Amino acid sequence: MIKLLRSAYRRPNFSGDSVRSFATYHLPFTIYHLPIFKKTEMSNRNKEWWSCEDYSRTQRITRRGVLVGSSLALLGLGLRKSALGQVAVRTDKDPADGNTLVVIFLRGGVDGLNAIVPHAEDAYYRARPTLSIARPNDKRAKSEDRAIDLNGFFGLHPSLAPLMPLYEGGQMAFIHAIGSMDGSHSHFEAMNCMERGLATSGSGDPSGWLARHLMTSPGNGSAMRAVAIGGTMPDSLRGASTALALDSLDDFRLSGDAGFRVALDALYADGKDPLTSAGKQTLKALDALHAMPGENKKDYPDEELAQGLRQVSQLIKSGVGVEVACLEKTGWDTHVAQGASTGILASQLSTVAKALAAFARDMGPRMDKVTVIAQTEFGRRVQENDGFGTDHGHGSVMLLMGGGVKAGVHTQWPGLAENQLSGPGDLQVTTDYRNVFAEVLEKRLGSKNATSVFPGLQYAAPGITA
Amino acid sequence: MTMERRDVLKLGAAATVAAALAGCSKIASEVAETPDALPLPTGDVTPELRVLHRLGFGPRPGDIARVASMGLAAYVEDQLAASQTEEPRLNLLLSNLEIFSIDSEDMMDIHREQVIAQLQRANLLYAVYSRNQLQERMTDFWLNHFNIYAPKSDDAWRLAGDTRKVIRNHALGKFPDMVKASAHSPAMLDYLDNTVNKSGVANENYARELMELHTLGVHGGYTQQDVMEVARCLTGWTIEKRFLHRRGTFRFDETVHDDGQKGVLGHIIPAKGGEADGDRVLEIVSNHPSTAKHISAKLCREFLGHEDAGWIDKMSTTYLSTGGDIKEMIRPLLLSKEILASPPIAKRPLDFVASCLRATNADSNCGPGVIDHLTKMGQSPYLWPMPDGYPDKAEAWTGSMLGRWNFALALAGGQIGGTSLDASRMHDPLEDVLGRHRSNKDIVEQHSKRLPNDQALALCLSSPEFQWR
Repeated sequence: MIKLLRSAYRRPNFSGDSVRSFATYHLPFTIYHLPIFKKTEMSNRNKEWWSCEDYSRTQRITRRGVLVGSSLALLGLGLRKSALGQVAVRTDKDPADGNTLVVIFLRGGVDGLNAIVPHAEDAYYRARPTLSIARPNDKRAKSEDRAIDLNGFFGLHPSLAPLMPLYEGGQMAFIHAIGSMDGSHSHFEAMNCMERGLATSGSGDPSGWLARHLMTSPGNGSAMRAVAIGGTMPDSLRGASTALALDSLDDFRLSGDAGFRVALDALYADGKDPLTSAGKQTLKALDALHAMPGENKKDYPDEELAQGLRQVSQLIKSGVGVEVACLEKTGWDTHVAQGASTGILASQLSTVAKALAAFARDMGPRMDKVTVIAQTEFGRRVQENDGFGTDHGHGSVMLLMGGGVKAGVHTQWPGLAENQLSGPGDLQVTTDYRNVFAEVLEKRLGSKNATSVFPGLQYAAPGITA
Repeated sequence: MTMERRDVLKLGAAATVAAALAGCSKIASEVAETPDALPLPTGDVTPELRVLHRLGFGPRPGDIARVASMGLAAYVEDQLAASQTEEPRLNLLLSNLEIFSIDSEDMMDIHREQVIAQLQRANLLYAVYSRNQLQERMTDFWLNHFNIYAPKSDDAWRLAGDTRKVIRNHALGKFPDMVKASAHSPAMLDYLDNTVNKSGVANENYARELMELHTLGVHGGYTQQDVMEVARCLTGWTIEKRFLHRRGTFRFDETVHDDGQKGVLGHIIPAKGGEADGDRVLEIVSNHPSTAKHISAKLCREFLGHEDAGWIDKMSTTYLSTGGDIKEMIRPLLLSKEILASPPIAKRPLDFVASCLRATNADSNCGPGVIDHLTKMGQSPYLWPMPDGYPDKAEAWTGSMLGRWNFALALAGGQIGGTSLDASRMHDPLEDVLGRHRSNKDIVEQHSKRLPNDQALALCLSSPEFQWR
């Protein structure tokens, strides 16, 4: 029945309150207090703010940058921070020691433009007469309907408010206009491409990127080294014979007598096919979980993603050696009645924000050893469609949370003017998602093979993690 | 025992080498390409056991002897004909389900969860008890090919009709007829948003999946432009919602149809075609060589467990010369040596559960008691959200092992509601479940002696070999 409660992959239900009136968002320019950055202006500012560090692929705008406003102060701060990061890495014997990577795949194509809103872009409001999120300073909109400003250019969807303390606390980064080079606009091609860690879908290594990492690094020998919470094994773990897919830790018990267990140990002792080897891993995991301390009862929303993260936290805290945990959330394919500050997308975003906030709260200082990636296969068309929804697009947003993450909105913003769009009217992809993945593997999981995990990648670390 | 097992493995390895030398290098290279290539189980499979597993959901007690006495070829023909009268038990259990006696519009009075529970139950009842096992395997295959997520919109109430009219009616018929039925299915049109595909702002969702998943295949040679043009052709293909009309049926709404000229896959579709634009699209994609190849490759995977270039060519040719006749495409494959010699295929959870119920001759209403277990293993019927259907790779199901063992224990222990088992009526549980010469048999036998009878039976069902077909 859990599966029934899962939000629909494509929800067609037309909910009246999710469609805002046209007038709410059709605003005169005069009320803006902040300058509206054009693409060129913004690039110049970026150079000024961040000339101290060489980010060949990704330029960054951070909240701190906007607030401090002094390039000198920032120069010092930036250097100090990265220097500290380096020291930390060097003194650690094994940077991967006890670190965990949590990957959440938001399946269906998240509308990055309404999640992390480029509220300084007029074109955004022109393209989305009914779906746009009001500017942070838009007095005509109710305060709870406005974007929450991040840096004067981007703002959070109001439903992502629970993430704001994490952003301000330096634990959260957003990478905008990120994606693969796959222009197919197909969920399955785009997901397949990203889960296999390829530039575009099609021919290439059939295994998953996380599987390749697991198979090319020594590992900690744990039966729970890689875990997928939810029904099936994600493609990103395909080819990792040690990966386990668990529906729920709470149900992870074997009935039957001790003799039955002994017999299973014998039957699954030396089999080498994928299912027999999975059986062997399962038996090991049962032992590992049996040795775990009691269930953690921290407050998590009663919903699948949050409950999944609760279990990840349980695994991490009990020290069974979980290195990679995969979760997913479907229901992002908002072709119809997407809604603006309320509605389908808003409720989806709210679910994610609450789940992440609960996880961070629960992990506390242990969050330093955890990195969370929330990714999606593509963004959505800039122009809203006739059904108050958005069709498949290209560039979207990726979220990084946890220790070592450099807070801010990291982007080489391509702009939303008609001549700045790609394909049938999509946000361009300016950051190759594989560079972020490779950097996370290198910096957080101590991978020595990050580039070989992504064949053909011209690796340029975007500098989002320390 | 160790010697025996080693010998079996040796034989398996020798067979692989021989197969590679005999020109099946495709298989060998595919196995080698798999990042973590592992040898598959190598139990001694009799042809009868193999055919009962590949054509259907495994043997019930007595099936192996029955197939042996009638001969494999006769059994395959019998299954292709799919004309066996069903057991009274199956008919009785199905007749108790409202989804088969009430129109989809009236059914709306029944709660969605109940409707889905009945759909799942019917699906499993057919798989376990139908005498037309091939028909049921194909039904499972096509339900995944034309997957629809039941909780979307009002689709739960439409899926009984969809399963009957689109899938079951054509499961062994002509593929283009199935595509056409699917394109007129209110459940599909709603699931893939064609109900909001209108002139001016076309919705590409159905148009794309029609080509990518249902017909041409993702590398079938269409472009983004083709997707947009097909979407235009299908504007106005929607569901009847008007008062005093047959609500809930297919309707072509000419008021939102884009009546301009279109170009699809190199064909010009002239302006003012109306509803015929869509018909023309279905004709073009159904008769496309890429479709023949895509469907052949999928059928090949279903019955052989891998894509074999020779068989794909052969089946594609048959597809094109017979107008997509599914029976004609699969007949030679089902009668081939390859189906007997091919490596085993991992049972998905539905395969596993159905084959357990069949092997043990369980008397089950296939209700929530069983479905809850299936859900824990990750394959609840009608609940795969994405249009690509449940994955068919073994690696996608490595998380289901504990669920399998717990189901086996609950089934054998009589702990599943609506399901009972009379193990005393089984001639020899070990042999009935595992067959005569399986490599797991010794271990099972040795440990069974120390276990209560029900757990000994559960052990047979839990053995690595029983996870393959």
